[in-house]
Amino acid sequence: MDIFIFEAAKNFIGIEAKYIYHIADNVKVVSVPLTPTCYEGLIYYRGDLFDVIDMGRLMEDKTSSFHGNPYIILLKWDAGKLGLIPDRIVGMKWIEDDSGDRAVFNRRGDAVALMTPHEIWKMLAGLSYGT
Amino acid sequence: MELEKYQKIFIQESNKYLDELDAALIKVEKNLENRQLWGEIHGKIHSMKGMARALSMDELSTFCHAMEEWCKLFQEGAKTPNERIVQLFFDGTDLLKRFVAGKGEISLPEDLKRLKRIADDLAKNPDELFSQPEPALGPSFAPAKIDRIRVDCSLIEALLARSQEIMLLEKTLPPLTQDQISAGLRAWVNNFISMLKGLYFQLAQLRLMPVQDFADLFGKTIRDLAKTYNRDIKFEIVGGGIEVDIGLMDRLREPFMHLLRNAVAHGIEPPDEREDAGKSREGKITLEAERCGDQLVLKVSDDGRGIDLNSIRAYLKDEMGMSHEDMGELSSEELLSIICRTDFSSANETTQLAGRGIGMNVIARAIEYLGGAMKVHSEPLKGTQFIINLPLSLSIIYAVLFRLGKYILAIPTSHVEAIEREVSDSSDNGTRLCDLRSLLRVDADAVGKGNIIRLRQPATLDLPLPEKGGIGIGADVIIGNMPLMAIPLGELLAKTGLFAGEGIMENGEIALILDLEKIQAAVEHGSSGI
Repeated sequence: MDIFIFEAAKNFIGIEAKYIYHIADNVKVVSVPLTPTCYEGLIYYRGDLFDVIDMGRLMEDKTSSFHGNPYIILLKWDAGKLGLIPDRIVGMKWIEDDSGDRAVFNRRGDAVALMTPHEIWKMLAGLSYGT
Repeated sequence: MELEKYQKIFIQESNKYLDELDAALIKVEKNLENRQLWGEIHGKIHSMKGMARALSMDELSTFCHAMEEWCKLFQEGAKTPNERIVQLFFDGTDLLKRFVAGKGEISLPEDLKRLKRIADDLAKNPDELFSQPEPALGPSFAPAKIDRIRVDCSLIEALLARSQEIMLLEKTLPPLTQDQISAGLRAWVNNFISMLKGLYFQLAQLRLMPVQDFADLFGKTIRDLAKTYNRDIKFEIVGGGIEVDIGLMDRLREPFMHLLRNAVAHGIEPPDEREDAGKSREGKITLEAERCGDQLVLKVSDDGRGIDLNSIRAYLKDEMGMSHEDMGELSSEELLSIICRTDFSSANETTQLAGRGIGMNVIARAIEYLGGAMKVHSEPLKGTQFIINLPLSLSIIYAVLFRLGKYILAIPTSHVEAIEREVSDSSDNGTRLCDLRSLLRVDADAVGKGNIIRLRQPATLDLPLPEKGGIGIGADVIIGNMPLMAIPLGELLAKTGLFAGEGIMENGEIALILDLEKIQAAVEHGSSGI
């Protein structure tokens, strides 16, 4: 299957291509109070509001990568939508074996962690919001 | 007129069942002993039978009943069907379509002949049919004209949002001089924008439903409540043809349920009491809709006993310590608005005495949340009327936008009393300040004297009572009073507990709409008051 791969906090993360709605760039992200540090804000894109998440911060508490990288990976799936800020976009790769949660995707033997949008959403939902 | 309406509903619903029936029969033909599928088929035929009976379509209901009896045998596993029997059900379904097209009747000779043949077969034991050859299939016809589709409301909302976003582009069109733009291009752009507005308008029509359909939702409930409380009630609808945003109607379901229940249980008197008071035994509840500019006015009236003002006065004296002189200064409208106070509304005994049930506060809050307002009129023995003003559309609201630190926040304009320059002690005028900065954990470095947005007390609380005093919210910069496209809060931001929604400004920027009820609760619990 086609996997969209990006890097965040020195991890390679792969999401099945069917969930990728668009790669947005130069979109203004609006800050929202009372949210976890990885919650970068909101964007309004083509009639939809997306929660935008700094994946590096979600994976590991580090400084935001957003200012250095204007790309936002927009995901849409049956139960929701989400914008992800990667440290770096690797690109689309065909991965034969998708049975596990990791797969090697290049000749160097780098492994990508395969995630579904729902899994990312569950991580976010488990964080603390509010006062 | 009523019959026509129900026939229309019958045809719409039956066509849906018949389409589903065809699909289920196709499946069961490949899996003859699947009892679950026979159960589904049974359910659909049973539903059609119920509707036919309600409309006195006896021939159709008898025919459905015969099909249903066979379904039971296959569903329970008492008999095992074969393809011949499934064909009989296909034929039966085709005939049901003819019945539906004829509003419960068939008259063409070939249809009557088919009815006799199928009814004769259904009167037999299924075993008798097993060995019989299948009758020759009749000619196939194209399905009836497709002139309706079922569309998910969310798709309409998505289309509306998309068209609104395209319309917002107009606002971002840079000012171009004659040197930069030809007259032809300008005309093209204007035409494009005008067509987009037309598209938006047409899309918006898809979200409309007649008030009559909304009122019909309550007809059965009023009838049941009347039985429970032993009342004789007629429910009338005026202005039922007015079409209103389905989202607005949906959010009014609960408040209206409360209003109508109160009218039946506490407003309308029992028939004997009405007769003794010189009224007709039958009480009347009216739902009236009218459009005033961009407002929808809904009036719910009853001709019952009216609200007992003495109970309200007793409450003001006993619970609020109000003097007779102060009470004398209150207008009748102000006095009646007391029934919407939280503490009055929850004082069960008093409210019952006043002729309204509990929950008036819930109704008033729900209407305010929708950007509307409610007034109460009542006269002893003549009845009570609730007048509810609402915006016709929920998607665009007017809001006061302001900056606090790096955030852009919004408060619906209907909730703003005044905007004032911040003074050293705002508590002088009774305003309690909400420390939104600390509530939202806004960086305090850039704090200077800003503005205070004084919130309007709900109309129902605007009385010279001891605890009077509104809530003020500090703002660094007031952006302005402007239209916002309101969008429901996403799941993650709903967890913050302080926002009611998200709003898109005309320039495409996003603002967070504050949940004033939560802010007020925070102030009252002392977690954010200054």
